[in-house]
Amino acid sequence: MCHQTVSLAARHLEANGIASIVLGCAKDIAEHCGVPRFLFSDFPLGNAAGRPKDPASQAFTLELALRVLETAPVARTTVQSPLRWSADPSWKLDYSNIDRLSPEETRRRREEFDRQKEIAKTVRDEPATK
Amino acid sequence: MSERDGRFGFAPEHDAPIPYMQRIRDYYQALGYGAAYRWAHYAEVSFQPLQKPLAECRVALITTAAPYQPGKGDQGPGAPYNAAAKFYTVYSGDTAIDHDLRISHVAIDRAHTTAEDSNTWFPLPQLRRCAAAGLIGEVAPRFHGAPTNRSHRTTIERDCPELLARCCADGADAAILVAN
Repeated sequence: MCHQTVSLAARHLEANGIASIVLGCAKDIAEHCGVPRFLFSDFPLGNAAGRPKDPASQAFTLELALRVLETAPVARTTVQSPLRWSADPSWKLDYSNIDRLSPEETRRRREEFDRQKEIAKTVRDEPATK
Repeated sequence: MSERDGRFGFAPEHDAPIPYMQRIRDYYQALGYGAAYRWAHYAEVSFQPLQKPLAECRVALITTAAPYQPGKGDQGPGAPYNAAAKFYTVYSGDTAIDHDLRISHVAIDRAHTTAEDSNTWFPLPQLRRCAAAGLIGEVAPRFHGAPTNRSHRTTIERDCPELLARCCADGADAAILVAN
């Protein structure tokens, strides 16, 4: 949802005169939505602004984003960061991969998802405080 | 690795961007949920070139992270998904000061990252550094928090206009949006 949300927001800002760039790790979601400029880091979700405990990676990522913001020639410009998460790409096989879950784990996740959905509904229905 | 892959230096097939939409579709169908989620999809994309050099621009920062909320359960580092920490309205914060923002309320990759360093999702310190270095004109006075909502109507009709209004009120020329 995160990538969809910021992609929709970027589109809306752009259409109203504010140049935008999305930093993200889910290339397909941002590009399917369609955004003006996208800096793709091929990292696990949660690291769109660089590698943890690695200020050089974080500085590089933001500076690259600024270059893309300034120099992208047309909409749907995607630039992929050259940084690698790991020499071993096998981490990419894990996220929400149903082939890697046992029937018991699948059942547990369904129960947990339903439980969290109820919690989210409660939070959503609370009076806004901000 | 096949002989051909070794000979030509091909990367493994799975060393490509994760196909999240397909993964998530298969995942929820296997969990027993019905119709697949319809992801936002547009053929047309607006484009607004910068109207002045970036070094003169006021740049806004937009995040999907949430302020740390004591009493709302484990929010990390290493927290499991925590819907209690979600938020449903746009919020803003002063960019001149530091903030404790967390991402336990969104579906990050918990197998391979722990959310221990907020600089990986909220680059406000880096953006301040870029302003000090003259790469941008200045950081907009506020950053803005965007709620992540399954409802397209809520995001498109309520939250996006609110984010735009706040960016305009701040006089932002450009915006950096960081997804999780």
